[in-house]
Amino acid sequence: MPSVSIGDLAQSFVLRRQNVTLKQDMQRLSKELTTGVVSDTASRVSGDLGPISGIDASLARLKGYRAVTAEAGLFAGSMQAALGVIDGLAGNLSSSLLAASSGAGTSRIDAVGSDALQKLQTVLSALNSRVGDRTLFAGNQTMGNAVVDAESLLSTLDSVVAASISAADVETAVTAWFNAPTGFAATGYQGGPNLAALSVAPGEEANLDVTANDPALRATLKGLAMAALLDRGVLGGQATGRQDLARRAGESLLASQTDMANLAARVGMVEAQIETASVRNSNESIALQIARTDIVSADPYETASRLEEAQAQLEKIYAITARMTRLSLMDYLR
Amino acid sequence: MSITGSLSSALSGLNAAARAAEIVSSNVANALTEGYGRRELQTTARTIGGSGQGVTVTGVVRRSDPILIGDRRLAQASSGDRSTTAGFLMRLERLLGTTDSATSLNGRISDFDTALLEATSRPEAESRLSKVMDTAKALVVHLSNAGNEIQVARSMADDQIESQVSQVNTALGRVAELNGQIRATQGLGRDTSALLDQRQQAIDTVAKIIPLREVPRSNGQVALFTTGGAVLLDGHAATLGFTPVGVVVAGMTQGSGALSGLTLNGKPLSTVADGGPISGGTLAAQFAIRDELAPAAQGKLDAIARDLTARFADPALDATRAPGAPGLFTDGGGAFLAINETGLAQRLSINAAADPATGGALWRLRDGLGAMAPGASGNAQLLKDMQSALNALRTPASGGFMAGARSFSTLAADVVSGTATARVAAEGEASFAAARLDTLSELELEGGVDTDQEMQSLLLIEQAYSANAKVISVVGDMIQTLLGM
Repeated sequence: MPSVSIGDLAQSFVLRRQNVTLKQDMQRLSKELTTGVVSDTASRVSGDLGPISGIDASLARLKGYRAVTAEAGLFAGSMQAALGVIDGLAGNLSSSLLAASSGAGTSRIDAVGSDALQKLQTVLSALNSRVGDRTLFAGNQTMGNAVVDAESLLSTLDSVVAASISAADVETAVTAWFNAPTGFAATGYQGGPNLAALSVAPGEEANLDVTANDPALRATLKGLAMAALLDRGVLGGQATGRQDLARRAGESLLASQTDMANLAARVGMVEAQIETASVRNSNESIALQIARTDIVSADPYETASRLEEAQAQLEKIYAITARMTRLSLMDYLR
Repeated sequence: MSITGSLSSALSGLNAAARAAEIVSSNVANALTEGYGRRELQTTARTIGGSGQGVTVTGVVRRSDPILIGDRRLAQASSGDRSTTAGFLMRLERLLGTTDSATSLNGRISDFDTALLEATSRPEAESRLSKVMDTAKALVVHLSNAGNEIQVARSMADDQIESQVSQVNTALGRVAELNGQIRATQGLGRDTSALLDQRQQAIDTVAKIIPLREVPRSNGQVALFTTGGAVLLDGHAATLGFTPVGVVVAGMTQGSGALSGLTLNGKPLSTVADGGPISGGTLAAQFAIRDELAPAAQGKLDAIARDLTARFADPALDATRAPGAPGLFTDGGGAFLAINETGLAQRLSINAAADPATGGALWRLRDGLGAMAPGASGNAQLLKDMQSALNALRTPASGGFMAGARSFSTLAADVVSGTATARVAAEGEASFAAARLDTLSELELEGGVDTDQEMQSLLLIEQAYSANAKVISVVGDMIQTLLGM
């Protein structure tokens, strides 16, 4: 007898299977619709996760560079501010020194001497300035001070110039001390060698290599210290000698101003470099994010319409299931 | 021809109708039983003395389609095989983590990279150095967890093999027993349908695990052969042998004797995934996980771990270390040796000299692992060098990668991509095999019990019963008429 029947289980099996498939689809589609990204990236890119992993790695690295450039920018900016303070004080003092040296009277020299001491203290504390827990001008010894305080600097210089009998002698001795590796570099400067260059962008380094031991800063400190020595009573009793020393200190400060301007320009260049790198990094980051979204995003229109489709399909299956269950000969055999 | 002849015919009709109703009730009762073959009553006209005298029941026929069942069994085995493999690859992919998951292997590497970069900006800050340490540890833990989980998957495969082997042995014994009962019952001329149902179910159990062919033998018996040609049952049931080891660790293989192979009646049986005597079912898939897929995944992880160790053990990086001393990443605390590669991912650890948790000091990340005392607080050179070492292009020494130098993150991405590609392909195959199985199952179920049809038969049976009863009643009247004359 040819088979003219269809087993009961076949029907329910087919409906059950389609029901499960549609429910899985709906779950996936609703997840994609809410998150906006495909639920299985690997199958979207046929298993090749290389490009997207590369993008993710670059994005993470750029996040690191963002922290680096923000901090480096802050350090460079603070250095620039400190240099500005030092330069302003030195310029100010050099003119009052030159003015005092030309006039008569020891009181003006005394006054400018005590002014110089105060300015020296301010400059030294500017060199010791810290951002957070980092000393800016101390090279890689970032935890301690960059320079000694005014008192110890001047008392060291007192002994250096003790034997000097003229303003020229004082200048020679002070200059020699500031330039000698065993002088200022050893006992006045307390920091270390320059900081290593900093990576601010992939393959790009910024070199913030300015310390208190820089020749321009040393020259400025030398002029200030010479003037401050006036306050310590150097060349006591020699009115002309003290006037001469004030003049020499003023001229020395004036001469160091070009170097200071160059130094400020150098820091400014680094600041600009950091800023450029930072902008470039954030542009790159945005471009990469757009590229990433292009790869993994689920088109909301497509997802929504397919979700709608799946829902309609599921409703149909429910309707059919209900009809089919009612369609039984049993119900009519009464 | 006589009145009693009519009575006898009517009685045989009643009898046949009663038997038919019994068959219908049995069919309806088993409408939802899988593996139940629909029964049909076979009747023929009875002849007594050369002339027709009623109806006789010749037997009960169990409807089944052996070819369709054979195909369905093969589809079932292949679907089981593919879905087991796809399940393992899916698990492996989750262990490594793709870009979809927040804690992926590549995410860990990026975190470490970022932490190193941030530390170069402020090497004096403890928070930056401890972030480097934490992210390095997270990377190590991720690799060793993945390694451990791979070995757990192998242990689980080992357990699965044991349980499937015992299922096969039990089912084969049952089939042999049923073979005997069917022969005896058939010899007595009784209905064997229920026994056939049970035997089909027992064979189905084996067929999921090992793909097989059923070959009919005399007296209703069957012989079972695997599609690869091994004899599972022919007269006597064969016995599969397997010894589970419980816990599997990296480096244990079937070849070295540390893991058990499979025996058939005491003789070794190949367990290869393709073209072997048992290949194509869930058993072979579990063997493939234990002996091929999982060890291959472990090999890739070890290659990643080795690459990481070697990047940081470069003598040019960190001059404070003694020659041959381990770098930031160590093999269980010591330097890595090429002969110890197997299982390196699990043993990978952070150099104790830099880890405060093991008596080390964070500043060694900045000043060198061999440094005796903290150096300049702003010295970022080593941190910078480490970041470069992580991203430098380097040719992996092991792992069977395509030739070419790559950064550490690219190497890890290659491994994850390889896993993802295999998973996507395996899922495709699994869904294909599942669709085939669904189609064949549907065809098989279509041949099952249809209650509508049974009800129709029941109507006919009811009519026939009434008609036969009517005949008896009329014949009775006729006899009464005779007796009353």
